[in-house]
Amino acid sequence: MGTLRHLLVKEVLQIRRNSFLPRLILAFPVMIMCVMPWVMDMEVDNVNIVVVDNDHSQLSRRLVERVASNPHFRFRGVLPGYADALSYVERDKADVILEIPLHYEKDFSLGKVPRVLVAANAVNGTKGSLGSSYASQIVSQNLVSAGHSPVAAAQGVTLSTLNLFNPHLSYKRFMIPALMSILIMMMCGFLPALNIVGEKEAGTIEQVNVTPVSKFAFIFAKLIPYWCIGLFVLTVCLLLSWLIYGIMPSGSVWLVYMLSVLLALVFSGLGLVVSNHSDTMQQAIFVMWFFVVCMMLLSGLFTPISSMPPLAQSLTRAIPVRYYIDAMRTVFLRGGTFSDILPSTLALFLFALILDVWAVISYRKRG
Amino acid sequence: MNAIEVSDVSKSYGSVLALDRVSLSVERGEMMGLIGPDGSGKTTLFRILTTLLLPDSGTATVEGFDTVSQLSRIRRRVGYMPGSFSLYQDLTVEENLKFFATLFHTTVAEGYDNIRAIYSQIEPFRHRRAGALSGGMKQKLALSCALVHRPTVLFLDEPTTGVDPVSRRELFDMLMPLREQGVTILVSTPYLEEVRRCDRVAFLSRGSILGTGTPDYILSRFASVFCPEPLSHDEDEALRKADNVIEVSHLVKAFGTFHAVDDISFSVHRGEIFGFLGANGAGKTTAMRCLTGLSSPTSGNGRVAGFDICTQSEQIKRHIGYMSQRFSLYQDLTVRENIRLFAGIYGMRGKVVGEKTDRLLESLQFTSHADTLVSSLPLGWKQKLAFSVSIFHEPEVVFLDEPTGGVDPATRRQFWQLIYDASSRGITVFVTTHYMDEADYCDRVSIMVDGKISALGSPEELKRRFQQPDMDSLFTYLARQAVRT
Repeated sequence: MGTLRHLLVKEVLQIRRNSFLPRLILAFPVMIMCVMPWVMDMEVDNVNIVVVDNDHSQLSRRLVERVASNPHFRFRGVLPGYADALSYVERDKADVILEIPLHYEKDFSLGKVPRVLVAANAVNGTKGSLGSSYASQIVSQNLVSAGHSPVAAAQGVTLSTLNLFNPHLSYKRFMIPALMSILIMMMCGFLPALNIVGEKEAGTIEQVNVTPVSKFAFIFAKLIPYWCIGLFVLTVCLLLSWLIYGIMPSGSVWLVYMLSVLLALVFSGLGLVVSNHSDTMQQAIFVMWFFVVCMMLLSGLFTPISSMPPLAQSLTRAIPVRYYIDAMRTVFLRGGTFSDILPSTLALFLFALILDVWAVISYRKRG
Repeated sequence: MNAIEVSDVSKSYGSVLALDRVSLSVERGEMMGLIGPDGSGKTTLFRILTTLLLPDSGTATVEGFDTVSQLSRIRRRVGYMPGSFSLYQDLTVEENLKFFATLFHTTVAEGYDNIRAIYSQIEPFRHRRAGALSGGMKQKLALSCALVHRPTVLFLDEPTTGVDPVSRRELFDMLMPLREQGVTILVSTPYLEEVRRCDRVAFLSRGSILGTGTPDYILSRFASVFCPEPLSHDEDEALRKADNVIEVSHLVKAFGTFHAVDDISFSVHRGEIFGFLGANGAGKTTAMRCLTGLSSPTSGNGRVAGFDICTQSEQIKRHIGYMSQRFSLYQDLTVRENIRLFAGIYGMRGKVVGEKTDRLLESLQFTSHADTLVSSLPLGWKQKLAFSVSIFHEPEVVFLDEPTGGVDPATRRQFWQLIYDASSRGITVFVTTHYMDEADYCDRVSIMVDGKISALGSPEELKRRFQQPDMDSLFTYLARQAVRT
């Protein structure tokens, strides 16, 4: 234990003397909490829409007003004909065209299902599809409020969504728990790996290897400071998210910490394995970067796993971050309890166990 | 017109004055030695002359061209071999040479006559990667690369540091014909035998030139730095107990089919200073790694401090000290923190450590620097400190792997005084070195050639047995018998 204490003192002194690490530790949570939630907002706003009204009836005018006042749309005006509208799209001034046909109101009052044309520019796929679905929702709302018969309304209103757990569909609420994973990857995976390879390059690791220091003491002395830093930064992030966005985990905060400790164990293990097998900083950085980027893209952080192709979906089962993000969102959004996140916790535990055992075995004091 | 003319050049990095109004002139075809301790400004001067660095004040000309305004003309005419290896380790010998030739818009064929004498020695290995060459061969290749465009001025910044005596001598032999062809050479070196081969030398210390003149003149004028009194080492036989601290028999370490250490047997007595010599690539470092428990031997056995090197490497580590070739203290910790860390690793108690640290710092005259970061100490100090730290826990044996590279003779002598002090306290010292004057300081030496020990005994005894006048010629005589490359 005495050895471990001395090694820990050394690591802490080195981190404190490092010219950029302490600054990074402060800048990181601020960046993650104050900037990222805004950037990673996946809601589509400012869809440019033009309307071609061929009916000029009361019902069609009411529809145009609804479109113009909807916050998701940026209303670009009413145009005389479809060709004009299309040229707007071609010049990238409009994303969605809503064309109201002649006899729109007449069809409606006759009890027929009135039809409108919604055309969307699909160059930007998300904007196009979300824009057209917003537009069709407005059209059906308009019909319902005009007193359309329930039968026809059922045909018009194809879908009704009730957002549980995240009633305002706030992406920030959705992203913040997932962003914590990036923080753990950096603090508990990247930094200790680079630290160890740094000692290899300086040659000091050899000096330590000829001393009676046990490999456990050496490894723990490397990891403990970064675990502390990781949990400290996590705490700062939770505080910031509460102060800035008023977002707090609906479930237990302890579950958040438990999951983060598990992920820290996973990434420390990965970092150690990588550093044990690399001789230079360059090699270690590239290998870590490869794993971290793959894991982030496959984790469901940016894109929902359910919309990935089946092959990619099965690949995500091998990604520990996926289980972390799943469980974190469950705890944060749904207020999940331990039994809700048990499968994810077990998966994370398994990954941590495999990687940590591998890390300890692959660290050799003698070649 | 002189080939190199430096007048009143100053250069500072922040508050550190690296060169202080330095003036120097080198005639065409002259071989000028630049000597001085580590950190005296030699590399800064080289970098200014090769147009890599701008002087703060003063002017410098090379072949009559100003280093600031006419740098492209200078660059076409000079060859530069920086201190650290300047080769691409993962390109082959031939690819390296071709690359440097292309940089100067020439071809290997055009420049071949110029480098024939040097390159022909490494040509048999032209398909080998530069990283796999031995230290001496790397330097020969680096020299070939610096010469392929037929420069008229050659700058060599410590071309032979860390290279064994035989390769060093060969490299300097290659420089002689160049001088006869009228190539001007400015070379820095820490080795006295190389200093003596220069036409003139300039002694640079703390950024100023203290003297310029023939090697004999400079070496006698600054005798206190370059030719310190030889150490007196009283052979206290009472300390040499009959027991052996290191015993090795039939030790082999093989990498694939290559036997780096090929069946060596020897023993080292308690309290002895044992010099472990050998050319680059002879297997010294590999053997030492086996003895210190950093690597497991392929076959054979040995005991260090009473423990088996194959099965008890962790127990061995409690009873030995080690100072590696690469600098082994933490640069970002202070002197006192480094001592505390390593003492703590060996389980020494805090109170004992504190008292002993104060005593040590006092005897090294470091007390005022106890809280200085190690990175800001001069190299000679770092080496003394690293040695003191490696014996701080009173080990039975201390292993020193080329501990004195790159410092002047006076500093090396101080270092050896520390070694003698440790030896008189009963600590066995196992040391490798490329300085043959240091080999004379040892009680016994072994010389490794091609993974085997080809001579073992006291320096006097060996000189008699092989009928050689000094250690340098003895080493050269034995190392020339090497067949493996």
